[in-house]
Amino acid sequence: MFNLFNNSNIFGLIEVLINFINSIFFALLLVALSFALIFSPPDYLQGDSVRIMYVHVPAAWIGLASFTCISILSILNFLFKIKNFSLMTKSIAPIGLVFTCIAIVTGSIWGQPTWGTFWAWDARITSMVILAIFYLSFIAIHKFVSEESKAIKISSIVAIVGLVNVPIIKYSVEWWSTLHQPASIKITGTSSIHSSMLMPLLLMFFVLILYCALIFLMKYKTEIIRIKKKNLKRL
Amino acid sequence: MIYNFILMNGYGIFVWSSFIITFLVCGIFYYKTRKSLKKYEKEFAKEIEALSIEQKKTVLENSKVASKVLSSFNKSI
Repeated sequence: MFNLFNNSNIFGLIEVLINFINSIFFALLLVALSFALIFSPPDYLQGDSVRIMYVHVPAAWIGLASFTCISILSILNFLFKIKNFSLMTKSIAPIGLVFTCIAIVTGSIWGQPTWGTFWAWDARITSMVILAIFYLSFIAIHKFVSEESKAIKISSIVAIVGLVNVPIIKYSVEWWSTLHQPASIKITGTSSIHSSMLMPLLLMFFVLILYCALIFLMKYKTEIIRIKKKNLKRL
Repeated sequence: MIYNFILMNGYGIFVWSSFIITFLVCGIFYYKTRKSLKKYEKEFAKEIEALSIEQKKTVLENSKVASKVLSSFNKSI
């Protein structure tokens, strides 16, 4: 089974996937943007400012999902010692950081017309800032710890400790009284968002996921080449 | 109509700045990631090219990654 994670086997697949995503990405992005900016209706309370949701919510979901992936892969790496998992976490972390920052910045912009302020030390916002700090620490460890095995070990501990913050972010709006509204979309149970807004939101999410996949594949490919380059004399 | 679309009932500045920031950051991130990938591919291919014929043959036989990087680099020049 672990032969599936062999770099040589993965490398060819990565190239095919990058070309496939590149070929469909811009068409899908145009469709998603048309729905988000033109076809979706304004909110009865928030008016057109609700359109910020189409970048803010997917960015926050990606930020959270990326960190969960990093934590799970770090746990698996601890258990099974598969080197590719650490390459994957290293490739995912910058994507997660970028999207967490996008979620914080767009959320702050959205805060001005809805709450009357760009910033509040609200439980959801603060826990998202903490998530960004965890991402920064993870990336900084890989950048500044020269011994690779040590860097992997320390960054894995950071990722596993940081996993505690994920449910805090998710349930912060229920556990504390916050300015941030509770979730409108529920995996189990009925969502309180109308389909005319849900559809563009899911479309934008899908497009941004494709973008993340593209970046991840390019970063992962870079990591594979970096390792092969380092071991060239041994080949 | 276009004027209304840009203004978005007074929320245009918030909506457009959110979208522009998001896609600008994504564009820069894509550009930097691609640039770094191309740099590594180029350096790796050059290192393979610099090997002796015998070493190069062994490397290309043993590593699919090396042969793929070298062939795509040769195509691009």
